Amino acid sequence: MLGLAAVLAAGLGAGVALADAPQRIVSLTVCTDQLLLDLVERQRIAALSYLAVDPTLSAKVEEARGLKGVRGMAEEVLALEPDLVIAQEYSTTASVDMLRRLGFRVVLVPLATDFEGMRHAVRLIAEAVGEKARGESIIAAFDERLAAARPQGPQRPRALAYQVNSLASGPGSLVDAALVAAGFHNMARDRALGPGGRLPLEEIVADPPDLLVLANSPEEFRSTVGDNLRHPAFAHMVSQLPHMQLSMPLWLCATPRIADAIDELGAKRRALLSAGARHD
Amino acid sequence: MTEAVAGAQGRRAAGWTLPVMGALAAAAGLAFLASLLVGPSGIGIHLDSDAGRLILVEIRLPRAILGALIGGALGLSGAVLQGYLRNPLAEPGLLGISGGGALGAVIAIHSGAAGAFVLALPAGGLLGAALAAMAVMLLAGERSGPLTLILAGVAISSLAGALTTLALNLSPNPFASVEMLFWLLGSLTDRSLTHVWLAGPLIILGGALLLTTGRALDALTLGEEAAQNLGVDLKVLRARIVAGTALAVGAATAVSGTIGFVGLVVPHLLRPLVGHEPRRLLPASGFGGAALVLAADVTLRLFAPMSEVRLGVVTALIGAPFFLWLVIKTRRELGP
Repeated sequence: MLGLAAVLAAGLGAGVALADAPQRIVSLTVCTDQLLLDLVERQRIAALSYLAVDPTLSAKVEEARGLKGVRGMAEEVLALEPDLVIAQEYSTTASVDMLRRLGFRVVLVPLATDFEGMRHAVRLIAEAVGEKARGESIIAAFDERLAAARPQGPQRPRALAYQVNSLASGPGSLVDAALVAAGFHNMARDRALGPGGRLPLEEIVADPPDLLVLANSPEEFRSTVGDNLRHPAFAHMVSQLPHMQLSMPLWLCATPRIADAIDELGAKRRALLSAGARHD
Repeated sequence: MTEAVAGAQGRRAAGWTLPVMGALAAAAGLAFLASLLVGPSGIGIHLDSDAGRLILVEIRLPRAILGALIGGALGLSGAVLQGYLRNPLAEPGLLGISGGGALGAVIAIHSGAAGAFVLALPAGGLLGAALAAMAVMLLAGERSGPLTLILAGVAISSLAGALTTLALNLSPNPFASVEMLFWLLGSLTDRSLTHVWLAGPLIILGGALLLTTGRALDALTLGEEAAQNLGVDLKVLRARIVAGTALAVGAATAVSGTIGFVGLVVPHLLRPLVGHEPRRLLPASGFGGAALVLAADVTLRLFAPMSEVRLGVVTALIGAPFFLWLVIKTRRELGP
């Protein structure tokens, strides 16, 4: 008798949860887009950000294709009549404020810059969309990959991730977290650079790293911001140094895809160390 | 009475021309050397290592050459424009000529033309600067007062700035806001010998053209009619000034963005030293501009090597207080 009541209650609870779970979800930033695509079926997504289909930024272009893209303005979101809006802190803040005032349910995801922040973001969205179990399994799978990628040996080759506009990300950035997890010493740390640190070309030429990690080819942007990567002194250095390309969508956002970046970096580290051992 | 005093001052100052010119050239030379010596990787030159040679030849040398050429172009064109328009506020930055150059360069880059054909970049800067210079001169006319000229300049530089920002906004470029800073405030960071080859010859050509206007501008100080009686063809003079400014400022802006205040401040700074006659002021302003931009760039690298402080910020920090002082001084001399 008691058992039946429990089953009934559980059944009722599940029914309520299902009815409660949002079915017209809108995500406003390219990072929350990718987390949302991991967590819910496509039919429950009313719109993603317009950047979800930009291959230079998003790792989920294929899945996002065909879904509506919004720029994050309150008016276009309003017209979609969403039952849940997922936005990121410090992004489209005016629209978020207005949507809240109008009574929409808005979940604000903090900007994650490390693995713990990423786990938190996954849990936050999973709970909001009623997919807690799926969120936990995503996190467990990521943790498994992270453990498998743990670097062997005490060597920590010096690596530097160098991007357009002379950006060299230091601690407090996902790139730094990925470099450390893969068994590198991030050279940006020696310069006390922050997450959005800049390193003059001259300093890299004067003290080159063991591995240069490049994200974008400057030709992807018709812009002067890539001039540091077009510089003849830099081209000369790239021709002399071990380097690798690490696609920006893998590490731009804190998503489980950062594990792919760690795997690629780890493989490069093993190659570097065995080449070094052969030389000795 | 005042004219006589000014004339006497001019003559007195004229005696100082050679030593002043020598001192300015020496200052520019010293700033050039300092620019080779100073950098974020440390002070000094290390020719014993590959890295040291690379830093000197590929990174610091192009920066120093461009600083000297661009500063010279801005100082010289400021002096020429002030002489031709007989207006103390005339300057490529304030008149929108630099802004036009930046717009032309942005269009050349973002249309993909600069990627397909390297000379498209300086060509775009040149064309933009030429259009802006012609527009200012047409809008302001020959007999316009300072007010008309400045209003025309403000309109053109706002329009050029707005169109530059719009072009960057419309381009598929996640770094648009960073790039706006470059074009609106100027920078010599990471300029290479490629940029020297692109802009250098055109800047030198334009500068040479501007230097030939000294005698005609001297005559023009006596008034337009007097100048024409002395054999100055005003149409030819104007064409030379538009072409020279467009070549020098357009090519400079295409590789460094808009560096403000140099063209305004330098001629004012040097007039008390070399006198009011354009023939002497023009070369002096060229050297002075080169020294100022090089000194500003060295200061930037000494005190804020890692930051995003732009060259235009430093020249404005030096230039704006000086400009205010000039305004106050002029008001005192003329009475309230």
